[in-house]
Amino acid sequence: MTDRMEKRIADVLLYGSVFAALIFFYIPIATLVLFSFTKSRFLSWPIPEFSTRWYGELLADRDFWSALGNSALLAVLATVFATLLGIGGAFAWSRYKFRFQWGFRILTFAPLLFPQLLLGVVMLLWFSVLAGWLNMSPGLWSAVIGHVIYITPFCIVIISVQMQGYDNTLDYAAEDAGATRWQILREITLPLIWPGIFSAAIFAFLLSWGNFYITYSLSGSTRTLPTFVFSGIAVGSSPIYPALATLTFIPALVLIFAVDRLRKRAARRRLSAIAES
Amino acid sequence: MAEIQKSWRDGALRLSTLPLLLLMGLFFVIPLIMTALLSFQGTQYYRLVWTWDLKVWTDVFSQVHYWTIMWRTLMMALVCTVLCTILAIPIAYGMLHRLSRWSDHITLLMVFAFLTDAVLKTFGWVLFLDRSGVLNGTLEAIGFPPAAVNVLFTPNATMIGMVYNLLPYTIFTIALSMARIDGDLVLAARDAGASRLRAFIEVTLPLAKPGIWAGAVLVFVLSLGVFLEPKVMGGGTSPLAAELIRQSFETRVNWPLGAALTLVLIVIGAAALTVAGAVALWQARRVVND
Amino acid sequence: MVSPIIKATGIDKYYGTYRALTDISLEVANGEFLALVGPSGCGKTTLLKILAGFEDLSAGSLVIDGEDMTEIPASARPTRMVFQKLALFPHKTVAQNIGFPLHLAKRPKPEIDAAVRRMLELMHLKESYLNRYPHELSGGEQQRVALARSMVSQPPVLLLDEPMSALDAKLKKSLQAELKHLHRHVGTSFVHVTHDLEEAMMLADRICVMRAGKIVQLGEPSEIYYRPANAFVAGFIGDTNLLPAKVTREGDAFRFACDVLDCANPIIAADQVAPGVAAGADAALMIRPEMLRLLAQGESADCTISGTVNEFFIRGASIQYRIAAAETEIVMDIPGTSTLPAKQGDPVKLGLALGDLFAVEA
Ligand SMILES: Nc1ncnc2c1ncn2[C@@H]1O[C@H](COP(=O)(O)OP(=O)(O)O)[C@@H](O)[C@H]1O
Ligand SMILES: [Mg+2]
Repeated sequence: MTDRMEKRIADVLLYGSVFAALIFFYIPIATLVLFSFTKSRFLSWPIPEFSTRWYGELLADRDFWSALGNSALLAVLATVFATLLGIGGAFAWSRYKFRFQWGFRILTFAPLLFPQLLLGVVMLLWFSVLAGWLNMSPGLWSAVIGHVIYITPFCIVIISVQMQGYDNTLDYAAEDAGATRWQILREITLPLIWPGIFSAAIFAFLLSWGNFYITYSLSGSTRTLPTFVFSGIAVGSSPIYPALATLTFIPALVLIFAVDRLRKRAARRRLSAIAES
Repeated sequence: MAEIQKSWRDGALRLSTLPLLLLMGLFFVIPLIMTALLSFQGTQYYRLVWTWDLKVWTDVFSQVHYWTIMWRTLMMALVCTVLCTILAIPIAYGMLHRLSRWSDHITLLMVFAFLTDAVLKTFGWVLFLDRSGVLNGTLEAIGFPPAAVNVLFTPNATMIGMVYNLLPYTIFTIALSMARIDGDLVLAARDAGASRLRAFIEVTLPLAKPGIWAGAVLVFVLSLGVFLEPKVMGGGTSPLAAELIRQSFETRVNWPLGAALTLVLIVIGAAALTVAGAVALWQARRVVND
Repeated sequence: MVSPIIKATGIDKYYGTYRALTDISLEVANGEFLALVGPSGCGKTTLLKILAGFEDLSAGSLVIDGEDMTEIPASARPTRMVFQKLALFPHKTVAQNIGFPLHLAKRPKPEIDAAVRRMLELMHLKESYLNRYPHELSGGEQQRVALARSMVSQPPVLLLDEPMSALDAKLKKSLQAELKHLHRHVGTSFVHVTHDLEEAMMLADRICVMRAGKIVQLGEPSEIYYRPANAFVAGFIGDTNLLPAKVTREGDAFRFACDVLDCANPIIAADQVAPGVAAGADAALMIRPEMLRLLAQGESADCTISGTVNEFFIRGASIQYRIAAAETEIVMDIPGTSTLPAKQGDPVKLGLALGDLFAVEA
């Protein structure tokens, strides 16, 4: 086989697979967006007529608003805790060296390797016991804990990646210039790993926002958007769910692109600083 | 980057680890232990009784039904792992080496799809694959018979959903390890007379192995626990382990049974992890010895 | 010496069981420029970190500026450090980097501004750099910013850890000159680590030569160069000739026997023998390459060496000859000329004065 032919085949295969993957990933998403604009109450193709009727129906649904509120509260709380714990965890993962570090790493990473449903089920058993002792039933609070357990490992990984290549002598230099530990953290370390922290927070927010399995197991009778949709489509599909999907895509997309902008700006500065020295 | 040696008496180390350790201990380790203990109890009239016997376990090991489902879960997980790995390699490579200018944007698009609510995406698939869905509607419009593709509510649909939800893991881990490969190594292989394919097989693939392994293991373990796909896309006709476990807890209210089945699944996952870890270690050692 | 600014006594440093420093005692005078020299891994950085407060000492004591340093953290010591990799903060501008120590000390903004501008001038940096980020500067400019940051709060002691090792030869030369100038100008005490003895000789008032965690010799550059304590110090700079010899006492002076050297009267004065050399034991005679000269036909000298030219290198200011003589190779540097006095394979005779010889332990 000649080199040219080989290149041609490789090109077709590689370009093709990337485009195919993108199409594959967006099939259900595009389908949802399309159906959200149907006028009919049946979700069958072709769409007879377009309208924004179902958006109106969705916005008039009180269960939707309470699910939205719960989702937001859950996601905000989970994000705050997971990001804070993730910062500490990332320091311990990749900047420090200490006894039993491997134990620490395995323990803090394990939830990521756990099928989420099992994670939820296992925790539910314990929460039911706890709830019995404390005389409160599983609800938003237990879902928050579950989300934090599941999401923190992601935050640790993202922030650790940002810490790769962090030059410890910067800390020494700051200390030498008279900085206290707290000042070093505030003036040097946090600003430098800030893009990682920010990405981790956004990632955490979206993971929590879209999480079904853990919420489903742990939130008791509290509904979030994913469980609201799940119970809705179990009863019978309605075009309000595609409308809901389309509405929630927009802020997520904005957030993801915002993270990317920030990350790139910081990366450019840091990379060139490293290249020079 | 040099790590900083810390003793457990150091305030910074405590501050950064203890809250996390406490949380993981209280809400991850203890629940696991409790699950194990629970599997030695029994139920009567939908209530837990503290019997401390092996009844549930003998039950689990003597019922063929459970093992059929476990076996099916395992097979689905294996197929899903193989598919995700094979598909991800050209995607990751193409993203890095053919569409490198766009790779950031492509990654973002994939991250967005990945982070979107799984229930919604699965529902989207149903609308797409339905007998009167987008796919069949479009096919019919260009001359195929009505409902030409009849895949929804079969195990194949489940598999499509699983691959859909788990493929990003392999793409990301493989792309990450491929991006770290020094481009000069591939050039050196080409310079030494290797064809493109040969250079890919001799240099790129072996060096990307850690990412391939990591992605495969992750996908395998996560696919053991899928629940949405078989229920919503597979139509619940051939349930997998997670559904079985959920039923034991919710429908049958048999906690000890659910706990035991959970443990079985965890053990299968842990065994896969151990084997993968051992293989990785063995290979790493072989590389060092060479 | 008036009261020293740094007084280290009997410092030991262990990393686990590994002994990185052994019994280091050292005094640095106020305003002195001291160079710490030694091969890589001999403990220079470790010693500097102990002075700066980044490492605890395992034994001994350290007094800086009249105060015991044992309990004082790095951030509160009267020392500032210039790091090997500079450690400029990539997210801060040049102005913010230089002003950082004053910013931490919560000085008023106008004062910081004024100090930063003063440093900029002292370091020959352009004012337009103030709002740039470190990566927008060249290597030499980054170096100056790092120096400026360490000097801005006028510390009594400046510690420099091989700050020039990453620069190319030419830039290094010009920065060395500037550093020397800066030192004269500000009156701060400098402790400058380098593995380059030539740099140390050029810059320092005194040089401290270290080896394997110990101080081998501490003295002025001329002492280190002409009166090295042992063969290690002698061999640390350039291509030095060390010829095996035997030394025996003869009255106030010493008699030596060396196969390579042909001397009419092989006697050297007592101060031409390093203190550690035991009479009758094996010793080495040190001859710096520039002390040898090429003898013309019939010319004579106190001592002579006969041999043939192996190789020569034209280095501009000088020409280096490598000459085979009695199973060793002798290195000779002579002033550069446009006409080569000898070529490869030529038989040559070298001469040197008895007074230029120095005997060290083998
Ligand atoms: N943190 C440390 N832990 C263990 N050994 C160290 C540490 N830092 C330095 N060493 C060892 O101490 C010795 C001296 O190191 P260093 O002071 O950096 O040498 P130099 O700066 O002279 O090249 C080296 O052998 C080095 O390996
Ligand atoms: Mg050093």
